Amino acid sequence: MASLLDVKGLTVKVSGYTILENLDFSIEENELRVLLGPNGAGKTTLICMITGQYKPYAGSISFAGQDITGWPPDAIFQKGIGRKFQVPNLFETLSVFDNVMVSLKGRRKVFSTLFQTLSAEDSDRIWEALEFVGLADKANEPADTLSHGERQWLELAMLIASDPKLLLLDEPTTGMSEEGKRRTAELIERIARSRTVLLVEHDMHIVRQIAKRVTVLHQGQRLAEGTLAEVMNNPAVREVYLGKRRPQ
Amino acid sequence: MASASGSVLAKTIANRSKRTIYRTPLIPRPVLVGGLFVIALIGAYPYYGTNAYVLSLLGKFLCYAIFALSIDLIWGFTGILSLGQAVYFGLGAYFIALSLKLNYALTHPTRYGGKIPDFMEWNGLTSVPHFMQPLMNLKTAVVCALIVPTLLALLFGVITFKRHIYGVYCAVITLAESLILQEFIIEYQAYTGGFNGITDYSNYVSPRFLWFILAVAIIFFLGARLLTHSKAGTVLKSIRDNDLRAEFLGYNVANYRIFVFCVSSFMAAAAGAMYAAWVGLVSFLDTGPVFSIEAVIWTAVGGRGTIVGPFVGTFLVKGAEFFLSGVLAEWWQILVGGLFIFVVLAMPDGIVGAVARWGARRRLALDNIARKDELKKYYFQLRLRSERSAQPEKEAP
Repeated sequence: MASLLDVKGLTVKVSGYTILENLDFSIEENELRVLLGPNGAGKTTLICMITGQYKPYAGSISFAGQDITGWPPDAIFQKGIGRKFQVPNLFETLSVFDNVMVSLKGRRKVFSTLFQTLSAEDSDRIWEALEFVGLADKANEPADTLSHGERQWLELAMLIASDPKLLLLDEPTTGMSEEGKRRTAELIERIARSRTVLLVEHDMHIVRQIAKRVTVLHQGQRLAEGTLAEVMNNPAVREVYLGKRRPQ
Repeated sequence: MASASGSVLAKTIANRSKRTIYRTPLIPRPVLVGGLFVIALIGAYPYYGTNAYVLSLLGKFLCYAIFALSIDLIWGFTGILSLGQAVYFGLGAYFIALSLKLNYALTHPTRYGGKIPDFMEWNGLTSVPHFMQPLMNLKTAVVCALIVPTLLALLFGVITFKRHIYGVYCAVITLAESLILQEFIIEYQAYTGGFNGITDYSNYVSPRFLWFILAVAIIFFLGARLLTHSKAGTVLKSIRDNDLRAEFLGYNVANYRIFVFCVSSFMAAAAGAMYAAWVGLVSFLDTGPVFSIEAVIWTAVGGRGTIVGPFVGTFLVKGAEFFLSGVLAEWWQILVGGLFIFVVLAMPDGIVGAVARWGARRRLALDNIARKDELKKYYFQLRLRSERSAQPEKEAP
């Protein structure tokens, strides 16, 4: 069975330091995978590599049966990989509505967007995405007036509207209240019903709530993979990561 | 029953507040009224005005305003600060000036009887060089004045934006581009008039030409408005706000930058072409960084990212210069620099931006008040109902 995303022998070196070393990693279709690992394990780097922000030193990345190693980010996105940044990346001066409108799945070329008008269906899809994350009330407000949690949700709404096959979420609950985290976890679960999701998350409550399969990275290598229970009972994992924080 | 009708009310309130999107109209009413007034004021000047100098200033200011508009498109909307936009203005101007000068020389021979521009004769040329012959035809010159700068902008865009060069680096490179062209013009004086520029070819100041410039300004204004109101315009703004996010949403950021840079350069070239014919004098200063920076200041004062702003800013700053530079002389430049610093610190959106922001805030506030009012009414009705239904119960025992 071919995986949706296949990372083979990925090595990344930045000014002499090896960030990722000969990493093999794959995700099946419609899977919700959680990526764990201590600081500096290479989680965000892996996401940067998959989305084409940097070019790998060695190895290959293929998505839906096509080799996407070294593709530019916009081409990789159009292939169907959406990315949520660790710190919300929004279009600050645009309204919440326009943020989602720009993200909406559809034409991306200069001369096709020049003459494109917003159809009723597109408009509905934008409202749907905004209502999904509960930001419809603020549709007219510029993004820079939102609170931190709302910013995270807006970026989620943007990605939902862009309808990727694979969604990479880099710590989407950073800086949220407990209530906000719970809500975000619910949103992610709902998103994952119809999509493949790779989630990087530190908060073990959330991981416990939604994780089915977990991959643990450590110093740029895959340390363990399996269900949460398997991983948590893995002695190597306990040593480097969970051992410091005893599960209740 | 009460709760059922209450929820209907709540729903209508929710729907109304939820599913409306405020968009600035293509031409907001104050702009339409003010714009028509100004157009009438400028367009009718030949009928009520007698001062030939003011007439010449009006055409000049309009060309400057179009130039500032071209800077607003790339800087205000896409976040590309070009300190060399005058390159495209100047190229457009030089093509027209050369053509006019070549034709002028045919009917006005030099002191030595040559039917070539005086600067060519001073530099030892005896006939118009072959590669310049096509420019004898004014129509060819107009086409060149519009197309060549746009193609140069395309080349420049491909070289820089495709390599992810923007921001400060782009500003520095455009600055260098501008200086290179200046050096080139001064060096090859046999073909360009060198340090003196191209002069004495008569100008074309006339009411008709003023109306033509005015019409072009209006067309460019509307075109820029349409562009920035399109989906592509929203994408440009999103690139200005966060190019990384735009790229990771599938937009080829470089292509958008190249596109808007070409549109902007086309406008600048058109402004330069009209400027050369109107003023009757083109020099290397018209391609220099100082001129670009001046236009950046006009745009900043008027309001970057507003389309209306460049027109307001240009007429205000250049108008003030007209009245004050006689009195203040050398202090004028310092004053303009001070004005720029003041605007950047106190009104980062410029005059028009500040007004628009105030309008938007007022609208949001009014909307919130209206929403609160409706909610208040709703709760008031709920309370009335509950009191009404509560009262008989009290009386019953």
